[in-house]
Amino acid sequence: MLFFKHIYTVIALQVTLFYFNLRIYTMKVYKCIVTCAMMLFSIAFYGNTNDDLTKLMSSDSEEKTEALRRLIEAQDLAAFPVLSAINDKKLFVYGGKLVTLGKKTTHNNITVYELITLYPETKGITDQKNKSLTLDNVDLKEITFSRKDRLSIIPLLPFINLTSIDDEVRKLAYTQFQNKGDYSTLKRIEKAALRETDEGLIRFAKETILSIRLQNATTENVQMDLIQKLVKNKGDNNLNILTTFIDRPELDAVFKKKVKIQISSIENRSNRIEWVQNLFSGVSLGSILILIALGLSIIYGLAGVINMAHGEFMMIGAYTSFCVQELFKMTSATGELSDFFFWASIPLAFLVSGLFGLLVERLILRKLYGKPLESLLATWGISLVLIQLARTIFGDLTSVKAPSVLSGGWEVVPQLVLPYNRIFIILMTTAMIVLTFLFLYRSKNGLRIRSVTQNRAMSACLGISTKKIDAMTFFIGSGIAGIAGCCMTLIGNVVPDMGQTYIVDSFLVVVTGGVGSLFGTIAAGLGIGQLTKLLEPVFQAVYGKVIILGFIIFFLQFKPKGLFPAKGRVADD
Amino acid sequence: MKSVFKNKSYDYLLFLGIFLILLPLGYLFDIVSITTISLWGRYFCFAIAAIGVDILWGYTGILCMCQALFFCMGGYGIAMHMLLSASGKGVYGSAIPDFMVWNQVASLPWFWEPFHGFPVAVLMCILIPGLFAGIFGYFIFKSRIKGVYFAIITQALALATWLLFLRNETMMGGTNGLTDFKMLLGFDLSTSATKFGLYIISCFVLIAVYIGVKQLVKSKFGKVLIAIRDSESRIRYTSYKIQNYKLVVFVLAAIIAAVGGMLYVPQTGIITPGRMNVTASIEMIIWVALGGRGKLKGAILGSLFINFLYSIFTTALPGSWLYVLGILFIVTVLYIDQGIIGLPNQIREYLNKLKTRKA
Repeated sequence: MLFFKHIYTVIALQVTLFYFNLRIYTMKVYKCIVTCAMMLFSIAFYGNTNDDLTKLMSSDSEEKTEALRRLIEAQDLAAFPVLSAINDKKLFVYGGKLVTLGKKTTHNNITVYELITLYPETKGITDQKNKSLTLDNVDLKEITFSRKDRLSIIPLLPFINLTSIDDEVRKLAYTQFQNKGDYSTLKRIEKAALRETDEGLIRFAKETILSIRLQNATTENVQMDLIQKLVKNKGDNNLNILTTFIDRPELDAVFKKKVKIQISSIENRSNRIEWVQNLFSGVSLGSILILIALGLSIIYGLAGVINMAHGEFMMIGAYTSFCVQELFKMTSATGELSDFFFWASIPLAFLVSGLFGLLVERLILRKLYGKPLESLLATWGISLVLIQLARTIFGDLTSVKAPSVLSGGWEVVPQLVLPYNRIFIILMTTAMIVLTFLFLYRSKNGLRIRSVTQNRAMSACLGISTKKIDAMTFFIGSGIAGIAGCCMTLIGNVVPDMGQTYIVDSFLVVVTGGVGSLFGTIAAGLGIGQLTKLLEPVFQAVYGKVIILGFIIFFLQFKPKGLFPAKGRVADD
Repeated sequence: MKSVFKNKSYDYLLFLGIFLILLPLGYLFDIVSITTISLWGRYFCFAIAAIGVDILWGYTGILCMCQALFFCMGGYGIAMHMLLSASGKGVYGSAIPDFMVWNQVASLPWFWEPFHGFPVAVLMCILIPGLFAGIFGYFIFKSRIKGVYFAIITQALALATWLLFLRNETMMGGTNGLTDFKMLLGFDLSTSATKFGLYIISCFVLIAVYIGVKQLVKSKFGKVLIAIRDSESRIRYTSYKIQNYKLVVFVLAAIIAAVGGMLYVPQTGIITPGRMNVTASIEMIIWVALGGRGKLKGAILGSLFINFLYSIFTTALPGSWLYVLGILFIVTVLYIDQGIIGLPNQIREYLNKLKTRKA
């Protein structure tokens, strides 16, 4: 095996030799002789990339330069990460190994880099406890090269990028080769493709190879075969590749038609994916609206109060999340933030927001029962004070780091990625709906809440302490808003007026759904969310909003009390 | 007119004395600066709008959260007229307003055309909000949407139109709004004389609107409005067409607000979508609530008082205004439900209660 590798490398070297020969003619004679000698030397002593890499660490600058030159000539893919590090001026020695700097993290104004080994494989260095090792770069010994040495790497750069540690750089490199379509690069790309482990990048590499082949293919059979393979591969650029291909002048009409069928099949697929994506974002928006409107609706049903400060209770939930994050940051020894803070902040957000709601109910709204418009104004006042309070305490822009579990997305099929944070919000909403349902319809207190909602005076007569029920409902309703706020930190910044973004829409959800109706809220929330996302691609978001408002007004013509109105024959006044 | 002066209280004379005699005299003798005069002129415009809010909310019990929208409709209308009448005098010397030149608009959009002439522009300023309120109100009142539902729907309406006006492609100046007005009917807006004139006009319009609305609420029509506020279903059972009454009041309030806006914009020199967002509308409600709802005097007093307070707080303690406003909301609603106008009465009642308790 090793022997074959040897043979292959010698052949590869001869190819390089040929290239160099071309350059040699333009060089001065003595330089030519030196280079030839060097090459012979390198052939004679070939086979030790490892050796050359060790020589890079030597203090003798000439030996370094020579080793580098040999590495460039050898074109061993395994050594490319090292060359890339040299090009980036990020080559260091750590513990007798060549390393480079990886991910950057900043904590307490000190920037710390992750260390990554370069040979024989690129991976993060871990200590005994399997914790990734990070060092400030001053603790490392840097290996420097002259500008001329670094410039000598440049011709190889596109290929070096194919082995970069950064996924995005590799993607970009593949794209460049794809656009060039140079057949001579194919072999090396194929080799690089074998190194890929990530599914998405394997697809990308395969697409690149197929695309280059297609660009150089001449017979229709081969072309068709390649096109079918491309379609099967489901790469991101398929449509682009095929539409450029079909513009070729030499294609005959019958074949063109065949290609067109393939193109339309790709287009159909991407349309379907877009449709699913829209559906998903509609459900996602709907679930956010439901999560906010749930508490609003319960409170409105019970007390007849539209709580204008509801969005601010949500904001309080989000800031609770933020505070928990800061607390975890302060107390953790390493300065690293564990994901646990987010999960811990969910029940805390419920508690804190709920307590705020309780306070507001006790101090202010209790005196305003039976006066819905007055309580609307009072809660608006509360919301103004809360927003300003948050601005004074926290400043304008803060954000919560989403737990790493929730970053990224679930790739259902290629090109269809559902973000985990959105999925989490949908799951959270479902959980909250189920919990609220169980509480309202399967518990004693829920029964009491429902009875007060139906007839306050009669419930009081039957021995239900309506005051207690009011307080409890406000606590729960505001608490759910707090959880909503916690979830909102996943998809946006934490700002003092974040509550205002969705609150009017949630009001509309409550109005459309019907007073205090759990199912009405769910149906209206999903409906409005879905409608918004349906209208958004056709009209712009703003016009979509106007249309939805018109739609709701139209809807209320027929169902003035919402989707599921409360039953009964109570006169208004 | 007579009925106004039949009232034994002297608050009318006080108002007229301060704003039509003392302030103008102060201006003539250089004691009061033109900025102060202009400031009060703007407050009068708010007071006009507040009267509209009061007949809606105070008398009929409809809490409308989009009055600022109608205020701005009037304001934008007159602003469009002023921009068009100064066309060709802009920075670019173009026939269309400057902001359209920035947005690469070649010709004037069709809906700007009617605003060339002053009479038509004023008519449009009144007609458009009136029509808009009429159509919107017709559907809303027909389906008997009221109370909190009505408040939410109008709030959503305010939000939606605010978003529309923020857009550049609606040709209303986007976030920056309309500004850089030069002339109105040939008067240079930057001179003190014009500013003073606008102040006097605003004051007279306020008085006229007050008297007109006062007559209205004293009439049988006004009594029905109060009855609707106090018990809508009973009035319905006595075969009054409630939706028509509500619609008329809604349209009237919209027009009054638009008149306020029309007078406001030439005095401020700018109109932006920020004036019509939900917050602005709700602020108008708190003017009335603090002044005393269901009393026209209260609406005027409340709007003048809060706006005066606003200018004091924003200059003295920037950043504290939202606290003040928020607390005003809460305190007004909780403790002074009759407003400042009703405060003496409330104190008297409280003292009486204390007396009877002691006795």
